Amino acid sequence: QEPLDDSQAAGVGSAEVVRYEYHVLYSSSYQVPVLYFRACFLDGRPLSLDEIWGSVHASYQARLQEGPWDTITQQEHPILGQPFFVLHPCRTKEFISAVLGASQAHHRHTNYIILWLSTVGPVVGLNLPLSYAKLAPEESTGDEV
Amino acid sequence: MTDDKDVLRDVWFGRIPTCFTLYQDEITEREAEPYYLLLPRVSYLTLVTDKVKKHFQKVMRQEEVSEIWFEYEGTPLKWHYPIGLLFDLHASNTALPWSITVHFKNFPEKDLLHCHSKDVIEAHFMACIKEADALKHKSQVINEMQKKDHKQLWMGLQNDKFEQFWAINRKLMEYPPEDNGFRYIPFRIYQ
Repeated sequence: QEPLDDSQAAGVGSAEVVRYEYHVLYSSSYQVPVLYFRACFLDGRPLSLDEIWGSVHASYQARLQEGPWDTITQQEHPILGQPFFVLHPCRTKEFISAVLGASQAHHRHTNYIILWLSTVGPVVGLNLPLSYAKLAPEESTGDEV
Repeated sequence: MTDDKDVLRDVWFGRIPTCFTLYQDEITEREAEPYYLLLPRVSYLTLVTDKVKKHFQKVMRQEEVSEIWFEYEGTPLKWHYPIGLLFDLHASNTALPWSITVHFKNFPEKDLLHCHSKDVIEAHFMACIKEADALKHKSQVINEMQKKDHKQLWMGLQNDKFEQFWAINRKLMEYPPEDNGFRYIPFRIYQ
C-alpha cells in the first residue's frame, strides 16, 4: 500500500484558506481504492468533521446522508496511524463496475484510477483537471481492472 | 462453536482492573479522588467510562470540561482499539491495577479520533465487523442480516450481554459444511 500525496490549497468561505491533503490507498479487504484526506487551516488547526461536511457541495450532501455506507467518517490512516477522513469504500465496486462495463462494451480504454478518482474526488474537494481524461494510452488494452 | 463456548465466555468476560486518575493540570474545585473500575477487554474505553467521566466532572466547572481522552505514561490511548489490546500493547508488563490518566482539555488532534457520541463507537465497531465479513464471506452473511440483527450485535456489546451478542455473531463465525473454512481469515496485527 503506497500512499500518493497531493496537497492543494482551496478557498473556503470569505477569507479562509484551507490546505487539503489527499492519500489514495488500496483496501485489500474490499479490493478497491480508498480516498483518505485531511484538511487544516493555515495556522495548523485541523478541520472538524462538521467543518469538512460544511465544505461538501450541497448536491452531494443529500447522497451522503443516505449513508451509512456512503458517508465520510474519521478513521486511522493504516500506515501513518493518524486521524484522517475517509469516504466509505464498500459501494465503490458497484458504481465502478457499472461504468467500466459500459466503457468496455464500447471498446474504450479506461484508466480505473482516473475513473474512480474523478467520481469520488469532487465530493471532497478534489477536482481532476480534464487533461487526465485526455491521456491517450499507447494501446487500448481494455484490461485495466 | 458449541465446544468452544467456555473459551468464548472466558474471552468475553476478561477484565482489567484499572485506576483512573485526573490529570494534575486539570482545573478542579476540590481534590479529585482516583476512580477504580474493572474494564472489559472486548469493549472500548469511551463505551464503558461514563461513570469515570461523571466522577471527575463532579469536581470540575462546566467550562473546564470538553471531550474526555485517556493517556497512559504520556501516550494518548486510542479509544477505537479494544481495551484488552490497549493494555497488551502498553502495559502488559506492569503491575495491576492499570493506571490511566484522564484529560478533559487539549485533545490531541493528531493522535486520536474524536468520539462525540456512542454512535461513533457503534459505527466504528460495525465497520470492523463488516470488513471482517468481507474477508470471511464476501460480505454475504453481514449483508443478508437485517438492521435489527446489526443492532442486536451492537447492543450485546454495549450492555455486556454474551448470549445476545453470540446469537448473532455465531452466524458470522459459521461457514457452509461443503466449504473447508472461511474464504480468508481476518487478522489484525499490532505492534
